[in-house]
Amino acid sequence: MKIKTEQFNEVAKKEIKNEYARAFLGLLPPVISMMRKQVMASFPDPDAALAYGQAIRAEAVTRLPELLEEFEKNACAQGAQILWARDAKEANDMVLAIAKERNITYVTKGKSMVTEEMGLNDVLIREGIETYETDLGEFIAQQLGRPPFHIVGPAINVPVEEVCDLFMKKADMKTATTDPVELGYAARLFLRDKFHHIEMGITGVNMAVAETGTIINVENEGNIRFNKASPRTQVSIMSMEKVVPTMSDAMHLLRLLCRSCTGQKISAYVSMDSGPKKADEIDGPEELFIIIIDNGRSEFYGDFTAREALRCIRCGACLNICPVYSKIGGYPYGWAYSGPMGQVLNPLLLGLDKTQDLYRACTLCGACREVCPGGIDHPSLFLYYRAKDVEGDQKFKGKRRTWKEMRFFDLWTWAVAHGWFWNLGVKWVRPALNRYARAGVIHSMGRFFEGWFKERDFPAMAKKTFHERWKEKEEKAEPPA
Amino acid sequence: MQKVSLFIPCTVDLFLPEIGEATVAVLRRLGVYPVYHTEQTCCGQPAMNAGYRDQARKAAKHFINIFGDDDVIVSPSGSCVYMVTHHYPELLSDEPGWLRRAEELSGRVYEFTQYLVDVLGVDDVGARFEGKITYHESCQVLRGLGISAQPKKLLAGITGAEIVPLFAAEFCCGFGGEFAYNYNYISEEMVKEKAQHFINSGADVLTLCEPGCLLNINGYLSRHHPEKRVIHMANLLAGAGKEG
Repeated sequence: MKIKTEQFNEVAKKEIKNEYARAFLGLLPPVISMMRKQVMASFPDPDAALAYGQAIRAEAVTRLPELLEEFEKNACAQGAQILWARDAKEANDMVLAIAKERNITYVTKGKSMVTEEMGLNDVLIREGIETYETDLGEFIAQQLGRPPFHIVGPAINVPVEEVCDLFMKKADMKTATTDPVELGYAARLFLRDKFHHIEMGITGVNMAVAETGTIINVENEGNIRFNKASPRTQVSIMSMEKVVPTMSDAMHLLRLLCRSCTGQKISAYVSMDSGPKKADEIDGPEELFIIIIDNGRSEFYGDFTAREALRCIRCGACLNICPVYSKIGGYPYGWAYSGPMGQVLNPLLLGLDKTQDLYRACTLCGACREVCPGGIDHPSLFLYYRAKDVEGDQKFKGKRRTWKEMRFFDLWTWAVAHGWFWNLGVKWVRPALNRYARAGVIHSMGRFFEGWFKERDFPAMAKKTFHERWKEKEEKAEPPA
Repeated sequence: MQKVSLFIPCTVDLFLPEIGEATVAVLRRLGVYPVYHTEQTCCGQPAMNAGYRDQARKAAKHFINIFGDDDVIVSPSGSCVYMVTHHYPELLSDEPGWLRRAEELSGRVYEFTQYLVDVLGVDDVGARFEGKITYHESCQVLRGLGISAQPKKLLAGITGAEIVPLFAAEFCCGFGGEFAYNYNYISEEMVKEKAQHFINSGADVLTLCEPGCLLNINGYLSRHHPEKRVIHMANLLAGAGKEG
């Protein structure tokens, strides 16, 4: 998957004019977020349930190294094979090696963001292994050659006519239709055939339970279950933060995940694998590989602030409530993860230099923080990234700002710290600023603050500031007895 | 007589001094004696939000030096109060002496409506307004400070006013400081929506507790719907009905 995080503005300016996508996006905060809120209310105490989930994620991140070891031990005891990948290349090579050793000609996949992060599809296809996404939305996005638009609905922005054309061309559909049921049926026919002869299935992992060595997948289409139950070889890939301490922790997070994600109490399918097929079992894969990928996470794990980002459980609640995401959709974020989730993760995984707009295109409104079942404080992380970028921090690949901006803030700070200079500054700046004012209102300042004045006015600086008014009137007034 | 130290945000001082005057008027009417330190400047929020922590730290120390001895500090801006109560301790966490002062101070800084309702126990300040009012829940006021019931209590106490609901009142208006001009094409869509919800509410005025949102929404209304306006809570409560 090509990383396009540096083209944020370019893509966002285009997408914000996409009326079809906007119609859907406009529904996210009022409708989808309301559904989440309503179903959260089915907890006896929704706030406590949220806090409980956040505490589980906090513990999981703090104990990450030992939990991963515990998971490995218990998963191996169940017969699974654990492979540790330092980065995307290592993980891709592992999948490739497994496939080649078994003469696999094609694989099917369940929706997995970590494989988007790795760019796995591109690698497999380049090496001559056909790769089919089997989640309906992901299947459409893959056939269109586009990144996921939304973590839960990867192709929700694609008009039905376009899906029809696509299926006629690429999914053996015989008659054109815009009926969603017919379209779904066409995709099903196409994919069922793939499942029928499948030898290797690839999935992501929603949670890995350290206590039992179990991996859990959550879905609504049943395709992940096919990917896990039908083939001889199952490869499940997880980023290292997916591990949780106990099965009871996992069960609580599962309840939060489904509510936060789609406003469901539970998704249509939840599958749990503790190792491959046992001797007395009738189905399941004969071999199960679990690849645990680091891909830069250990690099920032030592940073107690940054590692909070690892609490994310990929539910997408933050996307649905975000006022920025709901204007521009998922493409501008330029990589596997979009919305506040991507704004928090992508800068750490790709570097602050390549993701400048991700942590700046935010009003710090805090709506994401309020709904996050992982307990991530997104605005604080964005401020942290901005600070690391200004400092030019090497570890986070901070870029530093322009010389002009840095000098401006130095001068401004000197004024802030010296009241007399600040007040003198006001007297200098006022005439310069009010030169642009007509009847007390500034409509434009030429090339300054162009962005503001495109659709907005600004009041002229007061003839007498509060400070000056106070000095004139109040200072002379007698204090009360 | 209770003495209260006025923490006037720089945006109010320079561009919206009427909000400061209204704050003073309401406090006086309630028998509170406001004082104002003329050395106060800016709380440092622009530097903080732009990632200039060293600079924000200097602003924080200046603020603490000036306000450090005051018993009660009141400000007509939720985001500035949030900066002091939330970000100062974080900024100064490596300097124990300063951290202690920042933490002590943070318990004594109040947003204006929070002070009136939670500290003074007032819900009727004797204000009058003929017309319909709707309330915008500014991000740092609502989600930062958890203030929402207080302004609504005060609004209910205004004689002659009818309070009408605002759809999606808790959605961000799109200000976000430098966000508003650096990502104007997104910000414009957000403020446009907010303005539309205001118009749809049927209210005569929109009120709020945050000058940042006021500058943003009024800036948009002034250009596109000049008959509509936003009035800060302090002005409504002062009964002046004059926008900034």
